[in-house]
Amino acid sequence: MTEVHVLGIRHHGPGSARSVAEALEELRPDAVLVEGPPELDGLLHLLGDPDMVPPVAGLIYAADQPRSASFYPMAAYSPEWIAIRWAISASVRVQAIDLPAAHTLALRAAAEASPSADDGERVGEDADVESAEAYRPDAIAILAGAAGYGDAERWWEDAVEHRGAGPVDRFTALTEAVVEVRSLDERRGDHPDVVENSRREAAMRRIMRGVLREGHRRVVVVCGAYHAPALVPESFPPASADARLLTGLPKVKVAATWVPWTSERLSRSSGYGAGITAPGWYQHLFEHWSAGDPERSVSTTWLVRVAHALRKENLDASTASVIEANRMAEALAALRGRPGPGLAELDEAVQTVLCEGSPLPLDLVRRELTVGRGMGNVPEETPTIPLAADLTAAQRTLRLKATPLEEVLTLDLRKPLQLARSVLLHRLLLLGIGWGVPSDTGRTTGTFKEVWTICWRPELAVAVVEAGRFGTTVAAGAATAVTERARAASSLAELSSLLGNCLLAELPDGISGVMAVLSERSALQQDVPALLNTVEPLARTCRYGNVRGVDVTEVRRILDAVVVRAGVGLATACAGLDDDGARDMRRSIDSAHLGLSLVPDLAPDDWLRALGTVADSELLHGSVTGRATRLLLDAGRVDGDEVRDRLSRRLSVAAPAPHAAAWLDGLLSGDATLLIHDRHLLRIVDEWLAGVDEKTFEDVLPLLRRTFSAFGRPERRELGEQLSHHGGALHAEATTPDLTSARPALQTMARYLGWEEIA
Amino acid sequence: MTDAPAVADVLRAHAEEGHADELAALATFDDRPRPPHWSLSPWAVTRYILGGALPDGTVITPKYLGSERLVEIAVASLATDRALLLLGVPGTAKTWLSEHLAAAISGSSTLVVQGTAGTPEEALRYGWNYARLLAEGPSRAALVPGPVMRAMETGTLVRVEELTRIPSDVQDSLITILSEKTLPVPELDTEIQARKGFNVIATANNRDKGVNDLSSALRRRFNTVVLPLPDSLEREVEIVSGRVRSLGAALELPAELSALTEIRRVVTVMRELRAGMTEDRRATVKSPSATLSTAEAISVMTNGLALAAHFGDGTVRAHDVAASLVGAVIKDPVQDRVIWQEYLETVVRNRPDWTDLYRACRELDELD
Repeated sequence: MTEVHVLGIRHHGPGSARSVAEALEELRPDAVLVEGPPELDGLLHLLGDPDMVPPVAGLIYAADQPRSASFYPMAAYSPEWIAIRWAISASVRVQAIDLPAAHTLALRAAAEASPSADDGERVGEDADVESAEAYRPDAIAILAGAAGYGDAERWWEDAVEHRGAGPVDRFTALTEAVVEVRSLDERRGDHPDVVENSRREAAMRRIMRGVLREGHRRVVVVCGAYHAPALVPESFPPASADARLLTGLPKVKVAATWVPWTSERLSRSSGYGAGITAPGWYQHLFEHWSAGDPERSVSTTWLVRVAHALRKENLDASTASVIEANRMAEALAALRGRPGPGLAELDEAVQTVLCEGSPLPLDLVRRELTVGRGMGNVPEETPTIPLAADLTAAQRTLRLKATPLEEVLTLDLRKPLQLARSVLLHRLLLLGIGWGVPSDTGRTTGTFKEVWTICWRPELAVAVVEAGRFGTTVAAGAATAVTERARAASSLAELSSLLGNCLLAELPDGISGVMAVLSERSALQQDVPALLNTVEPLARTCRYGNVRGVDVTEVRRILDAVVVRAGVGLATACAGLDDDGARDMRRSIDSAHLGLSLVPDLAPDDWLRALGTVADSELLHGSVTGRATRLLLDAGRVDGDEVRDRLSRRLSVAAPAPHAAAWLDGLLSGDATLLIHDRHLLRIVDEWLAGVDEKTFEDVLPLLRRTFSAFGRPERRELGEQLSHHGGALHAEATTPDLTSARPALQTMARYLGWEEIA
Repeated sequence: MTDAPAVADVLRAHAEEGHADELAALATFDDRPRPPHWSLSPWAVTRYILGGALPDGTVITPKYLGSERLVEIAVASLATDRALLLLGVPGTAKTWLSEHLAAAISGSSTLVVQGTAGTPEEALRYGWNYARLLAEGPSRAALVPGPVMRAMETGTLVRVEELTRIPSDVQDSLITILSEKTLPVPELDTEIQARKGFNVIATANNRDKGVNDLSSALRRRFNTVVLPLPDSLEREVEIVSGRVRSLGAALELPAELSALTEIRRVVTVMRELRAGMTEDRRATVKSPSATLSTAEAISVMTNGLALAAHFGDGTVRAHDVAASLVGAVIKDPVQDRVIWQEYLETVVRNRPDWTDLYRACRELDELD
């Protein structure tokens, strides 16, 4: 007759883990069954690999829809981890028992598809249902709560371990207590959680029956304490009843693997029944118990670690204070009638003794200590998709380690290694793997610097698997992803920004994919602002694509066509705009103009002629015409006198004030530095202003104020200084530069730019 | 020496006298281990402070309405023979808590050193009976022990109020007392060794911190507990009404607090001005220079109670509290007045059921 021992544990409970380890040593079973989806069976042997470092998580995803996935995290102090490792080292049979994830994922997909079948409350609970972790009720936390304990591990230690009984008897007593907990459950039989639970337990029993038939001498079952009473063979319902529960369940094809996990992710309680608040503290407890040194107390070693962390933050934490904090924690525990200090008492003692009553220093070290920054590792033999393997290889060659710490990476794109890193991060972004997020480069106008914030979240493993459908390598996958997104893109602007991304990610294949869609769409596009907005990205592609070895003749062809078409439609498109529309249009015109300036040999005549039509019109919105005038002035298409005349005309008394203001705004706005350094423009404005009579001046003053108030205070001051100090110089004829003296400097400059020697 | 007046006759009874019955009842039921020279166990001390009911039905009134955790930390500190420093802005019950802790632990809250800018070293150590000193020369009999020294000799708690007001050099004479628990008397070539049970509870104000900031050597010898301002309106109203009621009884004021409404309004005004935001979080107000703590709300209400008793109809109304409320808010006659006017016009005026308070405050303004 097979002897079965059911060990009901708390997931991620160091106390449970220790008791499981002791029980296994005592029982020495020849088969170990551990709660977990059976799909992991084929991978359990990997946990014995020396390269497998917890925390890790089993990842099971639907093969054709990886977004639907479940994680099964394990820390070094997880009883499951202990049990599996023991079984591997003792070379005994080990198997996962639970409802197959194939069913769980299919059921979840079905529940999502028909929300009406589900209560509203579940929707809120599982808002993050995509790739949520498995739901597991924590019976030990319930028992601890009933006994007045906030921390289930403390209860375990006080109530279970200090009973003096052997480890096996402890679990038997606990199972009896859980029977009581389960009998208090008042949820109806058709409550979704109850249905799910009975299915899972039926599935566990089905696997157990199979194992028992194999005729082992002694079997140990490690499962969540809540399930323990249901898995005692004496209480098994008939096999047919279980079979009935499990027939006709939907099923999907799934794949399983191990992924590295982080302490921080373990600490998150959302959507995960066995979430724990202080993984770092549990880790500490477990290490302490495993060391088994009766001379050292848990709290002392913990307080010493706190003191070290505080010192690292340059806070005083003397040894004498640590001793006092220790005594304080013990006094608090005694006052509260507890056998020893727990995390709450230790935290309070630290705050009172080491931090002078302030909670702030403690918060500084909380992440480091209480949560921990550890990230697991999985061995290379772990089955994985080709894309993930390619990514790992790329990470290794680029020496870019995936860590859970948020890190700011500044890349100098002139260096090959750093450029390669940038390319990788850009490609991952296109694949939807948000490992790095581009940040503000700060105060630089150079294009060779990039700043990224990188942080590897374990959930990204799912994103990697999901991206696997695009291709087997990061480069090929990104190119496919871009092409796919281009086909689905709804606007020209989206397409052109995709094009820009392709450039950054060095994806020539992607560019050709995007271009095919773009040429088709732009031919059909009637919307002038959309056309204008594509000019800049296209022009960038032309300008810098050559540098990166991309064939740009096709891009150039489209760019030319877009510019012509935009120019033709510009005047019509500017008609009848309200203030918001005019602002958008002005932005589009600016961006297109900037784009055109990037491509030197692009004939801008058509464009400038179109701008001229807009500038001449008295009927269009002032903001747009003013802007057009300014662009023409900069391009030398209208002269200063003409602009002066227009200024007077536009700002004369008869012109409605809002129109006048908009025009002036269009003319002058933008970068104030231009106005500061462009004496020409400043002189035009200055002369006009000096020429108006007093009455008109009073009328236009508010408009001028309004425009100038958009400039920053220092910029306005500088303008004022220029006008007051060099007032005379403004009116002087532009001085002819002394070319002879400037010649050496000009020649050097020309050499830098790669020009021919200038005469 | 004159006879001490009867307890009922004193203006304010010591904590151990006012609550003698509760302390006695707690001592009867307290079967937990007591640290040496403690009159109650730490558990009973926390019960005394936080309130509750004993098995025989004796009700212990709560002395401190606030976080249970903080009281536990404070008691545990004293149990480890570490000195306790209570920090907080004025009016957060620091002195109140220290008095009750001393009463519960040592049975006496009368050993006090009041810290001022002029506190001499003698107050912390010992002085001399100069007539005797001149007549007999230095002797033990000529020594006049200060409160700290007496506490050391009897093994009880001594309180040091407003520790940061005491000049730094005087403060530092506490270091030896706290770390080595001895008080050397070089004149007699001897020392006083503290008996078990001796400890120090100091209070300090962290608003005007820096007056005489503690040296880090001294600071290290204290366990610090920061007492916060009450976190919710309800709790603060509860504290104020409880205290005002007991003060009113002690001052034998015949007036009664008809309802909580007046207290609630005063507490709301104080909280809003303190937080710089109205309770509904919809409007921002400016904060005056005054602290506007719970203690001030209590004194405003007691004042209103006296006005109502002697000059009103015996029920506290808006015009009874208005004068002291304005006085509490306006500490700086120029800036605070503007802030108060702004608050009055933008917040008080717009609350329909606050019309009487608004009118009363406006009338006061017109008198100026």
